[in-house]
Amino acid sequence: MWNYCLLRSNDGSPAASEWKENMSTERYLTFALGKGRLASKTMELFEKIGITCEEMKDKHSRKLIFVNEEYKLRFFLAKSPDVPTYVEYGAADIGVVGKDTIMEENRRVYEVLDLGYGKCRMCVCGPGSAKDLLKHHEMIRVASKYPNIAKDYFYNKKHQTVDIIKLNGSVELGPIVKLSDVIVDIVETGSTLQENGLEVLEEICPLSARMIVNQVSMQMETERIRKLIHDLKKNL
Amino acid sequence: MSRKLVHTPEGVRDIYGDEKERKTVVERLLAEKIHGYGYRDIQTPTFEFFDVFSKEVGTTPSKELYKFFDKEGNTLVLRPDFTPSIARCAAKYFMDENVPIRLSYQGNTFSNTSNLQGKLKEVTQMGAEMIGDASVYADAEMIAMTIEALYHAGLSDFQISIGNLEFFKGICAEAGLDEETELELREFISGKNYFGAEELLERIKAPDRDKEALLKVGDLFGSVDILKEAGRVVTNSRSKDALNRLKTLYQVLCDYGVEKYVSFDLGMLSKYNYYTGIIFKGYTYGVGDAIVKGGRYDNLLEHFGKKAPAIGFVIVVDDLLSAMNRQNTAIAGTEPCTSLYYTKDNFTEKLKEARRMRSEGRHVELLPAEIK
Repeated sequence: MWNYCLLRSNDGSPAASEWKENMSTERYLTFALGKGRLASKTMELFEKIGITCEEMKDKHSRKLIFVNEEYKLRFFLAKSPDVPTYVEYGAADIGVVGKDTIMEENRRVYEVLDLGYGKCRMCVCGPGSAKDLLKHHEMIRVASKYPNIAKDYFYNKKHQTVDIIKLNGSVELGPIVKLSDVIVDIVETGSTLQENGLEVLEEICPLSARMIVNQVSMQMETERIRKLIHDLKKNL
Repeated sequence: MSRKLVHTPEGVRDIYGDEKERKTVVERLLAEKIHGYGYRDIQTPTFEFFDVFSKEVGTTPSKELYKFFDKEGNTLVLRPDFTPSIARCAAKYFMDENVPIRLSYQGNTFSNTSNLQGKLKEVTQMGAEMIGDASVYADAEMIAMTIEALYHAGLSDFQISIGNLEFFKGICAEAGLDEETELELREFISGKNYFGAEELLERIKAPDRDKEALLKVGDLFGSVDILKEAGRVVTNSRSKDALNRLKTLYQVLCDYGVEKYVSFDLGMLSKYNYYTGIIFKGYTYGVGDAIVKGGRYDNLLEHFGKKAPAIGFVIVVDDLLSAMNRQNTAIAGTEPCTSLYYTKDNFTEKLKEARRMRSEGRHVELLPAEIK
């Protein structure tokens, strides 16, 4: 188990006994998890290193925050774009969220671990005919749920002037109803694109779930967090 | 009257009543310690020429500065931090001085960071700068003074994390990285983004040994033992010297008796370009960012025409206060205020009493009896 490992690996050193004594006074480590599949995947991984949270498994619970008293851990679920915010301000010490959200929100947090799951790609998509529009520097319209990523890609990497339209869902509609020329969105299997006559035109970057840590927590709770990272790494 | 008039713009706010009193007390306590080390206050203008804070100086990015024009069309900037102003001042007034100059300051700074909701755009900073002393004793004095000032203000649970930019730069130089790559890598490492750094080093095909060392940098933080571990990672003399400096610094800090507040982080690489060697940050519970930032800036004064080493720190007073609030830290009491009630008939008598009490240093307010 996680805590057990912690003590054992430090065995004999004065720090270890000190750690034990401090157990009762120790503060909670708070985790913010992006809602949905990512959260359940994350809990599965945590279980492998001995961190469980029974409360969370109850799907009908209306609780917002779940506690593991034994190891002094707290978990809560949040909408993905909010996870980096909670972590930046220290409301959560640790967060698990997709790379897309981290890039879009661009918060000051430590990005410490690539968890490897939730793999997909951030792409420029559109009808095959739009391919040509990306070859020149002419002005095009881009619809996206990720305006910052889209802007960064077109301005700083492609040096192309674009008009960015922020949408909140079903971005694929953009080129179909001629709202935009192309879209910037996450592509997992590409089947939604295919069914709607769109294709991947350019890949911006690969994505996966990441663990982020608050800067202050990293300094104040160095040993606990470092052990956690270390143990997780071994189980990836 | 329009109700709109009572609101302040986003990012600035009124501080009044108990909160302002607490702030005044904390500022006084911090200043007491700083003055105790022989630092003398200096006041610089709230706005200066843009060039003082320009990119070459390496301070806040231009888009985060509040800029405006004077009648001649010069671009002016509301100060985003004090250090460049102090450096300019020192270069101007202490040009021929050879003894170390100790300066302290306090005031509000402004940064236009609109996208960070919940971050104030105007914050009070208090800090100190020592100019003309390149020794490790100057480094130690700065750090010990920071610790004592925070402790004196009432904060007890905090960490000062110390790094040395030279360590990282030494490895970069050895690996032969160009400036652009170094900056990119710096971003990854200071964000503790190990795999981002790895990808970058793969891409530029850095030599294996340097790659390993550079990747290790982000992980080199913790107690003083980390310095020993760091010694095994590097072979170049620049990085070795950097470690030796930190080791000596730790010994001097032990002489000050403040070592229990100190930890090390070799992956700490500030976004401010002007820092050159020792760099440190202070952390505590309750706020998401460092409440103290400081470091050595041996080249900054040269930019203003005086060649002199310097080191300084700044405490973000507003962040310190919100941390103390969240930790329920007691702040040394302010003088309680006594109320005296008067009527038309006894006003002379009450006034006399009030004057007597005030002369004893007590706080007294006079109130008409009918409101009692």
